[in-house]
Amino acid sequence: MSIESQEQYESPWHRVHPISPFVRGWVVVVGAIYIYSQNILSSALEGNLKGNVFELPSEVLWPIMGIAFGIIALLLVGFYLSWRFTQYQITDDHVRTRSGILFRQHRQARIDRVQAIDIVQPLLARIFGLAELKFEVADSGQSAMNLSYLKYSDAQTLRNTILARAAGLRATAPHPSGTDDAQETQAASSSSSNGVETAEAPEIVVATTPPGRLIGSSILNPTLLVVALAFLIPVVIGGVLLETPATYVGLLPGLLSVGAIVWNELNKGFGFTASASPDGLRLKYGLTETSHQTIPPGRIQAVRVHAPLFWRPFGWYRVIANVAGYGEASGEQRSMLLRVGKLEDVYAVLPIVLPDPGTDRPLDLLTDGLKDSTDQTGFTQTPRSAAWLSPLAFKRQGYASTSTSIVIRGGRLSRHLTYVPHERTQGVLMHQGPIARRAGVADVELASTSGQILPRVKQMSVAEARSLFLMQADRAATARRLHDRNHWLVAEQNAQISPAPPSPQSSQEQPHE
Amino acid sequence: MPHEPIDPVGIEWSRVSEKYLKVRVISALIGHVVFVLILSVPLVMRLLGVWIWPAEWIAWALPIVGLIWTIIDVLFIIPRQVRAIGYAERQEDLLIRSGIMFRKLMVVPYGRMQYVDVEAGPVDRAFGLCKVKMHTASPSANPEIPGIPEAEGARLREQLSARGEAKLAGL
Repeated sequence: MSIESQEQYESPWHRVHPISPFVRGWVVVVGAIYIYSQNILSSALEGNLKGNVFELPSEVLWPIMGIAFGIIALLLVGFYLSWRFTQYQITDDHVRTRSGILFRQHRQARIDRVQAIDIVQPLLARIFGLAELKFEVADSGQSAMNLSYLKYSDAQTLRNTILARAAGLRATAPHPSGTDDAQETQAASSSSSNGVETAEAPEIVVATTPPGRLIGSSILNPTLLVVALAFLIPVVIGGVLLETPATYVGLLPGLLSVGAIVWNELNKGFGFTASASPDGLRLKYGLTETSHQTIPPGRIQAVRVHAPLFWRPFGWYRVIANVAGYGEASGEQRSMLLRVGKLEDVYAVLPIVLPDPGTDRPLDLLTDGLKDSTDQTGFTQTPRSAAWLSPLAFKRQGYASTSTSIVIRGGRLSRHLTYVPHERTQGVLMHQGPIARRAGVADVELASTSGQILPRVKQMSVAEARSLFLMQADRAATARRLHDRNHWLVAEQNAQISPAPPSPQSSQEQPHE
Repeated sequence: MPHEPIDPVGIEWSRVSEKYLKVRVISALIGHVVFVLILSVPLVMRLLGVWIWPAEWIAWALPIVGLIWTIIDVLFIIPRQVRAIGYAERQEDLLIRSGIMFRKLMVVPYGRMQYVDVEAGPVDRAFGLCKVKMHTASPSANPEIPGIPEAEGARLREQLSARGEAKLAGL
């Protein structure tokens, strides 16, 4: 194990791209220039060029110029230092970053705990050909680590490297000063994983969102419709009944907010492309800020296929997922595996994130789960006696269990179907309130990481709920023993050795075994 | 321990400490006293002749209702709630149940626990009790067992951490 510690001290530290502090701090610079030029302009417009600083007597002018240059110099020095002090290092097991001038910050993350990687390019960064690399780590709720900014091609290479290592392929970079045992591992690993370091995993595009569908889906958004109605109805009624056209002016804020919502959706969803790659599902989207996401298949905690009410006439679906680290607030955009797509797109995306459906008829299960209330694939449903509790949805509420995951369906107007892999179950909860008790039913919730999906089997008969509860606890335990998908590409016997490497200090002291 | 219909069969539940009832009652009484005092404000004001607007019976009824609620809570609800809390250590997972009106039953596999906390507030400490809190990667599966003796808490913490370590899997 001493190899790892040596790795850690030998891997070189890298710096981010020199221009990145400017890309991050450009708002300050542009703001200063804007304020200055506006002052000049306004005084020029007033025909009062005497207001220009250069017209000042020189004993006042020089100090002012001095201060101005001082500030600029300080900014530049600050930019330089913050660049100088930001470093990162990638070893076989960890990603480390160091940053901060006065308050130094060191952060490290285990690569085998990396849940997903995004490459984000805000507009200005894109102009300079730079990109930010964000990776989500689920080590005890730590926030994301990010490297901003790298050259786009470097970011891609780094992503591929990290993903390959996270998958358990140990691609050791050539180390000039490698000691004996370091070279041994190199020799051992290079045979199995040659060239993993830089090879870009090939992508196959599986689903795209045409602009028409994107616009349509953005408009058919419940929030948007509510906002639109809230503004339109009173104004139109006011305008028509009271015959005061002036009230139409009141439409303006409504139009603006509706426009903002639509623009936001279009901007985020523009050019949405989902592709399959050996690393997992690749997502690409965004107009002014483009994002490239990669979600490894073993990192999906739960997947939901959702058919919102207004999309149903068009046969559009959305696929969202819980990925540890994405969280609830910022994760809404990032958790969309398919923004808006036809059923074929769902068929294309699902197998990438759930490689093993665990049933002979995965498509039947999916269509059954999304159709109104047919039942050929063995969904256990809410008992008829409890129908009064949810008169609309009771026919759809239920679950089916495959050998790899549990499939929960529900919702009548907005239908949804949720997959939770057995080995991703964090815990099982059974709830029963006073009303449910009268109806003789109980809810079973599968604890998942925080995200958009709350997997919950609603209103099962108590006997069913109880058996599901125990069965699920057992299944989760068994599935966990069988798959340690931390390193999801490594064969099981290898994976069992991998968890919990010793701390660098302790392992460094001991000579190698 | 009363068997509830949603409980799985064949499980030996461990109960929380008898003393935990006292802890709960003391904590609840503190809250209730404050609440009743607030409810008595109109009565006091009226008796002092500062306010005259609430009818006299309303002024009396408010603190009386508060007192009745206190008695019901302390004598009936809290004892039942405390009795309803149970936990069971199984081979692969930990089971926890709680609640009477809103029953909740939770199972958390040892391999999913990220870390374990032991907490004790001032009232808890006075009775030598503590609370064991477990954390998983899911916000809804963070079980806690309140009101267990400190020694048992320490044992549980060790036990759970050891088992969690042995069975720890990736997320």
